[in-house]
Amino acid sequence: MRRDDYLQKPVKHIKISGALTVDQLMQQFRNSGSFGAGRLAKACDVYEKMVRDEECTVFLALSGAVVPAGMRAVIADLVRSRLVDVIVCTGATMVHDAIEALGGHHYKGSWVVDDEELFKYHIFRIYDIFVPEEDYVRIDYQLAEMYREIAAKRKGERLSSDEFAWELGKRLKDPNSILRAAYEAQVPIFIPAVRDSEFGFIHWLHASQENQKDVLVLDAFKEVPRICEICSKSPRNGMIVIGGGVPRNTVQSAAIASKTGMDYAVVVTMDRPETGGLSGSTLKETVSWGKVKGEADKVMVIGDALIVFPLIVASVVERLGSGFARVPYLRRLQADGGGSK
Amino acid sequence: MSEGRFCGNCDGHNLYEYPMKMFCSKRYAKNKDPIVDTLGCCDDWEPVTQECYCVREALKQQKSKDSGRRD
Repeated sequence: MRRDDYLQKPVKHIKISGALTVDQLMQQFRNSGSFGAGRLAKACDVYEKMVRDEECTVFLALSGAVVPAGMRAVIADLVRSRLVDVIVCTGATMVHDAIEALGGHHYKGSWVVDDEELFKYHIFRIYDIFVPEEDYVRIDYQLAEMYREIAAKRKGERLSSDEFAWELGKRLKDPNSILRAAYEAQVPIFIPAVRDSEFGFIHWLHASQENQKDVLVLDAFKEVPRICEICSKSPRNGMIVIGGGVPRNTVQSAAIASKTGMDYAVVVTMDRPETGGLSGSTLKETVSWGKVKGEADKVMVIGDALIVFPLIVASVVERLGSGFARVPYLRRLQADGGGSK
Repeated sequence: MSEGRFCGNCDGHNLYEYPMKMFCSKRYAKNKDPIVDTLGCCDDWEPVTQECYCVREALKQQKSKDSGRRD
């Protein structure tokens, strides 16, 4: 490169004049183009491209306590408005959703607290959020009954985690539930590490009942061809990752296995790449695996997902406007007789 | 365990309605109603490994309920 090539785009200073909408603020961030502001503005652009691309399937990978912190309705609304096509998440994410769907709550708390006293009161802490043990115990009881009902209905069939998620969603009535929204919109929710959550211990409770005739069976491998098929049938794929861990790896691995590679990628994380862990791995690094294409529109935003993700969603929803209606590519394919799900 | 043997200080106790009701997984496994009184007890009782306030608070609540009745 020549020297002048490095000096093409001057930083435009952020100007706050009067009231700004979220997207107007993001445009100011884009003008700056620097540090976290520049990355956040780019994340809005990449997500907008994903949803406007009529041949792109949008994956949302969720880890961390996004539901306890208050992002449940944001995600359920994205599902209902077809701005995500597939969710891949931790078991805990959907356990937290089920807790609220069945009448429980997460409470604003503090990280400056006597944790031994919390233990004595049977209150669990997620940083500065509190959740009472009884909310877990009540879902243990209620979901164990649902497990029995599902097993009886499916008559010994081995379910994949996405089939399991829809069976739960069908039985939850709360309109703000992600599980319910996904069932209604027929958006698959893959929970690859389903047993690493309360769902696993509920299964233990359910299977422990004497003379239990109908024990629910989940098949961890059944979902692998299902998610790979979604990737391979989509001309283009995009992922939005909150956190990382198993959900991010599952989406990226499906992209490798189906020999597609992501065309769009937004990762929101606080993790660092130096440890070699996947959650902090850079998108540049993912290119070496073929998980994300070299030419993909991609950006990693280093920040608290609870701040960053709602800003991205608000900005993109504002850009799309109220008249925007998206029919997912795979839904159109299915309508044309080309889909298997 | 100064309070004696109660569901609320049994090692298998899970909170159902603080502090008066517990969920007993042992009873659930036996297809019995798993919701029990914190101040109840049965032959399967095992000492709790880490103390909580359930029994203390349940006894306090029980006492105030009883004294309320006398008033």
